[in-house]
Amino acid sequence: MTFRSLALSNVRGNWRAYSAFILSSVFSVLIFYLYAAFLLHPDVQSGEIKGALQVKQGMLACEFLIIIFSFFFVLYSNSAFMKTRKKEFGLFTLFGMTRGQIRKMVLYESAFIAAVSIAAGIGLGMLFSKLFFLALGALLDGGETIRFAAPPAALWMTAAGFFALFMIITLLTLFRVGRSEIVELLREARKPKPEPSLSVWAAVVGFLTLGGGYALAMTMNARSFLLLTLPVVGLTVVGTYFLYAQGSVAILRLLMRRKRFYYDRTNMLSVSQLVYKMKDNARLLFVITVMSAVVLSASGTVYVLQQLQKSQILDHAPFAIGFVERGEGAHQVIDPAEVTRIARDDGLHITREQKLSGLLGERIAKDDAAAINSPLEAMIVSESDYNREAKLLGRKTAAPAGDEAVLILPYQEMESYRPIQNGAIRLALGTDTVKLQLTDQYAGAVTSPVSFATYVLVVDDASFAQLSASAPSGSRLVSYGYEWSNWEHSEDTVSKIEKEIDPAFKSQAQTYRVPSYVSTNQSISLTLFIGLFISLLFFIAMGSLIYFKLFTELQDDQAQFKALSRIGMTAAEIRRIVVTQVGLVFLIPCVVGSVHALFAIQALGNLLGSPILKYAAVVFGIYLAMQAAYFAVTCATYLRSIRSGGRTATE
Amino acid sequence: MQVLKTQGLSKVYGAKGGVAYHALDQIDLSVDKGEFVGIMGPSGSGKTTLLNLLATIDKPTSGTLEIGGTNPVSLSERDIALFRRRELGFVFQDFNLLDTLPIKENIILPLVLEGAKPAVIEQKLRSIAELLGIQGILGKRTYEVSGGQKQRAAIARAIIHEPSLLLADELTGNLDSKSAKDVMNALQDLNERLSATVLLVTHDPFSASYCKRVLFIKDGKLFSEIRRGVNRQAFFQQILDALSVLGGNFDDIPFARA
Repeated sequence: MTFRSLALSNVRGNWRAYSAFILSSVFSVLIFYLYAAFLLHPDVQSGEIKGALQVKQGMLACEFLIIIFSFFFVLYSNSAFMKTRKKEFGLFTLFGMTRGQIRKMVLYESAFIAAVSIAAGIGLGMLFSKLFFLALGALLDGGETIRFAAPPAALWMTAAGFFALFMIITLLTLFRVGRSEIVELLREARKPKPEPSLSVWAAVVGFLTLGGGYALAMTMNARSFLLLTLPVVGLTVVGTYFLYAQGSVAILRLLMRRKRFYYDRTNMLSVSQLVYKMKDNARLLFVITVMSAVVLSASGTVYVLQQLQKSQILDHAPFAIGFVERGEGAHQVIDPAEVTRIARDDGLHITREQKLSGLLGERIAKDDAAAINSPLEAMIVSESDYNREAKLLGRKTAAPAGDEAVLILPYQEMESYRPIQNGAIRLALGTDTVKLQLTDQYAGAVTSPVSFATYVLVVDDASFAQLSASAPSGSRLVSYGYEWSNWEHSEDTVSKIEKEIDPAFKSQAQTYRVPSYVSTNQSISLTLFIGLFISLLFFIAMGSLIYFKLFTELQDDQAQFKALSRIGMTAAEIRRIVVTQVGLVFLIPCVVGSVHALFAIQALGNLLGSPILKYAAVVFGIYLAMQAAYFAVTCATYLRSIRSGGRTATE
Repeated sequence: MQVLKTQGLSKVYGAKGGVAYHALDQIDLSVDKGEFVGIMGPSGSGKTTLLNLLATIDKPTSGTLEIGGTNPVSLSERDIALFRRRELGFVFQDFNLLDTLPIKENIILPLVLEGAKPAVIEQKLRSIAELLGIQGILGKRTYEVSGGQKQRAAIARAIIHEPSLLLADELTGNLDSKSAKDVMNALQDLNERLSATVLLVTHDPFSASYCKRVLFIKDGKLFSEIRRGVNRQAFFQQILDALSVLGGNFDDIPFARA
């Protein structure tokens, strides 16, 4: 047996424990290579793919993120491996292996694992790169196709970079091996675990800090944001640590005291072992929770902001094309017939045409104000016209009576903004002065809010008729709005229409909805696409940390379940215990992390003044589903190992 | 009343193609309720195989086995587990107590798994702990108590659910002589006061001398049987004599105990 083959068989023997680690490493290499292959693609380098500029920066940042993350991940995993193998090293030393030889062996092992991870990662990367380019090309501006290429620089960079990373970390961990006495090394595995201690104070502090962090997060508003962010994050992080280190023990102890629950069949075993599992893994669970919270909050925030942007566009521009004109049938901006013709020529089905008549109310001011020259102007419309349009768009209806008026503000975020105070107001209609009672103001445009129609003043039908009769033709306004099916993809039509609009009256038309919606959508998909891989990497790494932790405890558990099955525990009962324990270890950080992120997102929602939880729920749902899938795989593998371990032991 | 009955119990290893090895050959065994039976034999005589068959964690190649009137061989895997749990109690050489539970909860584990009421559990625990003299260590952890105390706790766990048969495998193997004596005295008390049926597999003549009847097996066959009179010391001598007739390797156990 050569030295190399010893190292190789060591890896093979520890395959179950190594597999999750290797999987994560392969995935890191894979993603790193994909990004590198794009960044170093000859067409991107030569600037032939114009859209590449949009994503280059983000991808480069991601590359650094992957390297930094991989460094810590491999470092942690490596030192954890070394810890579990102390006994093995002790035995080797006992048989006369020198310290230098052990180091050499470990170095061989790491080199082997690095080679496997890198080869598999790059291989898979090359396999998937065409697919990646296809997807990316479709998302980029202009939908270019990116040809397949495996830039040598990318290959070289990925392989050398990761190999160096693995070797540096191995050298770092090697310093720690072989310092202790053989006896200590051998004894390491057999130390009985003392009962987890419980400090009620620490547990209470944990719950209080966590609760305090949450409470502060909920009270955060735009003004206190800067002041409160750090305390909130600090309190939550500290609280999370105490929650795992002490809170979990405290809760489980309480459960133990409830005999009716605790003495109910397998509960006793599940709970008593969980106390150890939670406490032993407190630091790991804490790290994973914080990581989950960060990943979830970040991706949730990005997603939420972009969704908000989308709904904001729809709110600000209720029509695909809209414009307002002075005087009936004047058509200074564009002939409405022209708009419908262009849309129809492009094969679009017009679903709605709005033609809303109104009067231009200028210099709206408080009745008792001295100043005459108020810049505030609004389109006066009749109550029935307004309510008809409002119902169609799902906005609030208005009911002014007599000389009452309601002012409609254009954007939802202006809900609490007051351009003028309620009460007696006066405005100029042509040369006349009209006095009205302003009773209410709220947000929600029913017509394209541009130029004269930015604000809408709703008055009683009778007073509208009266005002209309005396209004000069120059004060008459007509607002047009067009909506068609499949508007999300009608940029060409919109730009054709835009060309027909008289440049002098451009400010009276609202044409930005379609183009800005399209570009928002594109940036969303690009961000999500690139971010997706990073989140996936984080996610797989988190899962593999837990997986690894579970498998290092496997031997103890195997012995325990073997003993239990001897005294007559059925396979079903063992499965129930394992599923409960593994499930909780898996899902608790995931759930706690989600709750953290939920509070973060809710605080963000409070800041933005919009209910955004429903958007965030999408992200959380995906995350939880993925965790559950990972859990199912781990649980199945774990059960199989327990069972096979139990069987070989009994024979 | 018979608690355990075997007829022609045999176990053959490696029959396919290779040379068949008869680990156990035609064992006929019968144990009545309240008996305290020891099984002795040199290393490789088939003791452990027999115990595994009786413990229902292994299946015989041929022959019948009946414990408390049931033939566990015919049961499904799940039912065998439940059968073990209800009808059998085990005491092992290495205690097999769970480190994660205090002594008390280790003892009541069989009752908890059966879903007994907390009040019933407490009451049974109290009486069994008193009988075995371990009331003082119930709240302690496994690493806080001595080997003898651990083994007495294991005995308590094995008997608390009142199984029809208590199987003990080299239960003094990991103990010093003082602890071994304590444990054997405790087991004898159990046997006498609760009339629990005990089957003890050992190659330690000192432990065996507590039995009322000792069976010797050699090369997978029943070899001889001796019964105890009134005096344990005399019985110990008898066992030593029987062992010398039996031959085989007994070097690995200390003889200087009794």
